[in-house]
Amino acid sequence: MSLREEVEDFYAEYGEIIDGGELERWPELFAEPCLYRIVSKENHDRGLPLSLMRCDGMGMLRDRALASQKLNVYAPRAWRHSITQIRAREEHGRIAVRANFAVFETLQDEHTRVLCAGRYVDTLVRTEAGLRLREKICIYDAALIPGSIVMPL
Amino acid sequence: MNGRAWPAEGDSRVPYWVYTDEAIYRREIERIFEGPTWSYLALECEIPDPGDYKRTSIGERSVLVVRGANGAINGFLNRCAHRGVQLCQQDTGHVDRFFVCPYHQWTYDLEGKLRGLPFVRGVKGVGGMPADFSMADHGLTPIPVQARRGAVFGSLDAQAPPLEEYFGPRMLGFYDRVFDGRELRLLGYSRQRLAANWKLMLENIKDTCHASLLHVFFVTFGLFRVDNPSKVRMDETGLHAALISERGRQELNEGTRQMQSFKAQLTLQDPRIIEAVREFPGDATVIMHTFWPNLILQQQSNTLATRQIVPRGPQEFDLHWTFFGYADDDDEMTERRLRQANLMGPGGLVSMDDGEIVARAQDGFRHAAEAAGINEMGGRDHADADHMVTDVALRAFYRGYRRVMDL
Repeated sequence: MSLREEVEDFYAEYGEIIDGGELERWPELFAEPCLYRIVSKENHDRGLPLSLMRCDGMGMLRDRALASQKLNVYAPRAWRHSITQIRAREEHGRIAVRANFAVFETLQDEHTRVLCAGRYVDTLVRTEAGLRLREKICIYDAALIPGSIVMPL
Repeated sequence: MNGRAWPAEGDSRVPYWVYTDEAIYRREIERIFEGPTWSYLALECEIPDPGDYKRTSIGERSVLVVRGANGAINGFLNRCAHRGVQLCQQDTGHVDRFFVCPYHQWTYDLEGKLRGLPFVRGVKGVGGMPADFSMADHGLTPIPVQARRGAVFGSLDAQAPPLEEYFGPRMLGFYDRVFDGRELRLLGYSRQRLAANWKLMLENIKDTCHASLLHVFFVTFGLFRVDNPSKVRMDETGLHAALISERGRQELNEGTRQMQSFKAQLTLQDPRIIEAVREFPGDATVIMHTFWPNLILQQQSNTLATRQIVPRGPQEFDLHWTFFGYADDDDEMTERRLRQANLMGPGGLVSMDDGEIVARAQDGFRHAAEAAGINEMGGRDHADADHMVTDVALRAFYRGYRRVMDL
């Protein structure tokens, strides 16, 4: 399998796990020490450090997954990731990945809408279990979120 | 108004038409946002240098705040004096000396004065503006702005009282606790659009009880809960308020027993997101402020933010979050603020619940003009309370609102 195929398979699984309601498996796609951030393009471009979500390490990933699944209160909805334009480069045991993402959100009594679109700037590593995320930065384009972001992107 | 009559029970009831009626909304824009109030516009640290600007708003109107050549802060409507084009489209930015409208290149200085326009004397002896056209009469429309200890407010009504008088001594005390004179550090922005009436966001902050019921994180870890030592403090109008509380513990007691969202067994795998250090005088660990009409000032543990409300019709508003710290924070404190920011914003472990529930409330209000909400927890009075098992801040708010709105 080529590097591109491996990485594409990984991102297919990433999207499937979130969209399929298996958020408890989402932290399994990371390898400690890991970092997950959602950050607006505005904050990113201006060097402002605020994240919309930030998990430093496995514990925070698991806490966020649990909160999203069981603790937060939000209207029922379907999520659909589209992850495209994946480019990967392997160097010194790390795989640098750039990709575009769009997340479609469908609420009851509403048309499907684009919740947000942006790009992933990720670092993957090879582990015995397969490819895993060391770092995932989701940079979303919009200055304005329609409603809330109730799950990881 | 339009045959609308407030329920006979008075301020403890809120008829749902205040959240849906177009005529009510227009009156709110006129009397509140464009009336003698002070709206939050910016933090000074967002525009530190001459030529820095921020595009912000008062009610529905786009407004520019600009750091002038002499370091003073100027406010203008974001609208070219020529043909009404919005002058700045970026949320923040910098110009060297002039704002230039792209349409016909009318050029304004940082004080809003019209300094030039092409073809003013014509071209090759033809055309040009009339001889009596006065550049001095066609600057940007200025608006009064007042800065206090790092935050900037503006008004569309020259009759607004001075800012300090508008807040009153009591609310000013709370304001100065967070804006304590230290230079601020901008940490970043989040913005969201919510399908709900703008007042619901202020109510959400004034509604003390919901925090102990809706938010599992607050309830379980005691960050903001009615069984903690708490106080509700208001100004004379009832429109501004501060909800003050001390963090409690994760314990089953008479209060938490009644909160279905209390999870005695819940533990965080990484508790750093709620780990706080004391940084303000006094015992309060959280004070949530509502400054009429458009500002929520959040001090929850070490996460600080302004939340600016931008109304967009009766059924929709935008919420602009600006997170900040102090310029003298060490790296550890900045990291702490950034980790605790996980609780707040459009993806906040706590505040996502609020964004969702206000939209759900709005869904309930549609086609329900005959019905009214009940704010009777803690009685029917309007007095400050030394506990949080009360809707008093909501009653006082609607008493003030009815006076302003003549309802």
